[in-house]
Amino acid sequence: MSDAAAAAYAMAPRERSRARSLVGDGGAAWLLTLPAIIAYLLMILLPLAGVLALAFTDYEFGGTSFRWIGSENFADMLKDRTFMASIRNTVIYCFFVVPLSIGIALLLAILIEAGARGRAFFRAVFFLPVVSLTVAMATAWQYLLHPSIGPVNAVLRGLGLGTPNWLGSSDWVLMSLGMIGVWENVGFNLVLFLAGLTAIPRELYGAAEVDGAKSAWSRFALVTWPLLGPTLLFVIIITMTRSIRVFDSVQTLTQGGPNNASEVLLRTIYQEGFHYFKFGYSAAITLVFLAIVLAVMLVQTRLIDRRIHYG
Amino acid sequence: MAGVSVSAVSKSFGVTEVLKDVSLEVRKGEFVSLVGPSGCGKTTLMRIIAGLETASSGMVTIEGRDVTNIRAADRDVAMVFQNYALYPHLTVSQNLAVPLVMRRLSALQRMPLFGRFIGDAKAKLAAISDETKRTAEMLGIAHLMDRKPAQLSGGQRQRVALGRAIVRHPRVFLMDEPLSNLDAALRVHTRAEIVALHRRVGAATVYVTHDQSEAMTMSDRVAVMMGGEILQIAAPEEIYLDPADLRVASFIGSPKINVLAAEADERGRVSVDGVPTGLLAPSRGPVTFAVRPEDIAPAGDGIPARLTHVEFLGDCALLHAETIGNKRPVICRVAPDRRPRVAIGGEISLWPDAAKSFLFDGNGKRVSAAVAKQKPAHV
Repeated sequence: MSDAAAAAYAMAPRERSRARSLVGDGGAAWLLTLPAIIAYLLMILLPLAGVLALAFTDYEFGGTSFRWIGSENFADMLKDRTFMASIRNTVIYCFFVVPLSIGIALLLAILIEAGARGRAFFRAVFFLPVVSLTVAMATAWQYLLHPSIGPVNAVLRGLGLGTPNWLGSSDWVLMSLGMIGVWENVGFNLVLFLAGLTAIPRELYGAAEVDGAKSAWSRFALVTWPLLGPTLLFVIIITMTRSIRVFDSVQTLTQGGPNNASEVLLRTIYQEGFHYFKFGYSAAITLVFLAIVLAVMLVQTRLIDRRIHYG
Repeated sequence: MAGVSVSAVSKSFGVTEVLKDVSLEVRKGEFVSLVGPSGCGKTTLMRIIAGLETASSGMVTIEGRDVTNIRAADRDVAMVFQNYALYPHLTVSQNLAVPLVMRRLSALQRMPLFGRFIGDAKAKLAAISDETKRTAEMLGIAHLMDRKPAQLSGGQRQRVALGRAIVRHPRVFLMDEPLSNLDAALRVHTRAEIVALHRRVGAATVYVTHDQSEAMTMSDRVAVMMGGEILQIAAPEEIYLDPADLRVASFIGSPKINVLAAEADERGRVSVDGVPTGLLAPSRGPVTFAVRPEDIAPAGDGIPARLTHVEFLGDCALLHAETIGNKRPVICRVAPDRRPRVAIGGEISLWPDAAKSFLFDGNGKRVSAAVAKQKPAHV
């Protein structure tokens, strides 16, 4: 028995080298990555190529034929009030949600990390919005922000302040959705920051203290901020893409209204494609959306990455 | 004048008492080591002196000033941490400059980009740059100024950490196991360098280590700590030749001191396994008899033992034996030509030098002993 095992053991390298000689080292590498390559082709590159092709046609779902119309779809976008509104709203939404959700998350993470107890509790509390379904939570928000029976306005009324129609007025709707977006993102960013903070060696704070960093601010500037750099870059990219992709809160709470005041990119794509069945036009907007996401990521990694210290 | 004085300091973390009523005085320019096994409270004591930890009770003064309730940044102490604690995102020269920048520049002047244009920031930065350069040259790291810590070897990082500590001429210099991350050869080398550096800087220095050879070779005085107490604080020779406590005697010295159970008769004569040792105890009863390996040797009519192992080390040989009476291990360090001609497992007789042997009571405290008579040792 043990002889047989020893023989098999002795055989194994020879078998292996025979397999290698059939395809070569490079061939083996390709063979091993093949499943991933196939999945990538089928799931990502092929649909992307499909979208790319569709964007230059006037294809409508269910149609029997289509025409190549060149860049007509893109020219149409510039004249499309809904599309322009959705671009504008998405940008405003991002500029509202990204800094606020990152700033609040960082502040909370530092407070939680500094606290002696309750770390797990606070982490769970702030993470809850991330795991709860926005579509389900929308009911709660609808009630909270209801202009006449909502508790938010009840409080404001009690304080003698104005009672805006949070989701119904075009002046307030984007901010209301933004606040919901912040609420959704803070927990996620918080957990990432907490992980980043735990990775900072305690000794560095001792060294900073001995070196004369007296205020909490100077210790933050000397140690926390620079050492949190890699985490911060990651959090910015994640939050940015998450808020460019905002859809479910808009779809469930306002359907882009009133009067396109809360129309966002993803909802426009959805609307054009699945409501009006204008697949060609929808694909063109998707391309614009992809271009924006890629551009944002490129700028961030190029600009910020250079100033970041990794371990 | 005392550079650092710690009086009756206690520290508890919850219910665990880490320091029990510890007092310590370090004179200006003196080098004192805190040595003890891990968990003895030596690092906590150092962190209390640094101001990174607050004492539960007791007082800390630095050059006469009560600093017990003053934070680390205002104590004028510098510290070298075990893992160096260099700022990984800053270059060597920036790391060296941090203590000066933090103390001399205002918060506004420290701001990135435009802070240097506020007030006299430029002149201050130039002075700081000169001082860091001088320190770097002194430590032989001037050619590394633009590197980041990750690009340095362990020894180089250690120098940068030392430089960051001495660059602003602190009153007190604290080092927490600064050599423990270096390899053995570099450690011996750096040991001498730190001592030389200490003489140049002249600050009161507290050095924490678990390595007795570091403590013995570097310090003016050694404080042996165990279980949150300082058992003895004295010059290295005194610690070795005149230990006040059995735990001190056992901790210092390699190979370890031999500890044997002994009995004093009604006249105080101490015997081990029924063999008189020539020591006189003040009272009758069981005592602990201890003798260093170099002070016990094979000779006739001594304590009977069985030879278990011989280590030949060139300049000496270590004889490992076990007493026949109490089955206690004994190590003798003898000149190579004095090894007994006995096979392993054979019986030998061991004769301790009474004048260099110690007696301890049941609590491990030293008992004064007199030498009655020394039988002439015959081989």
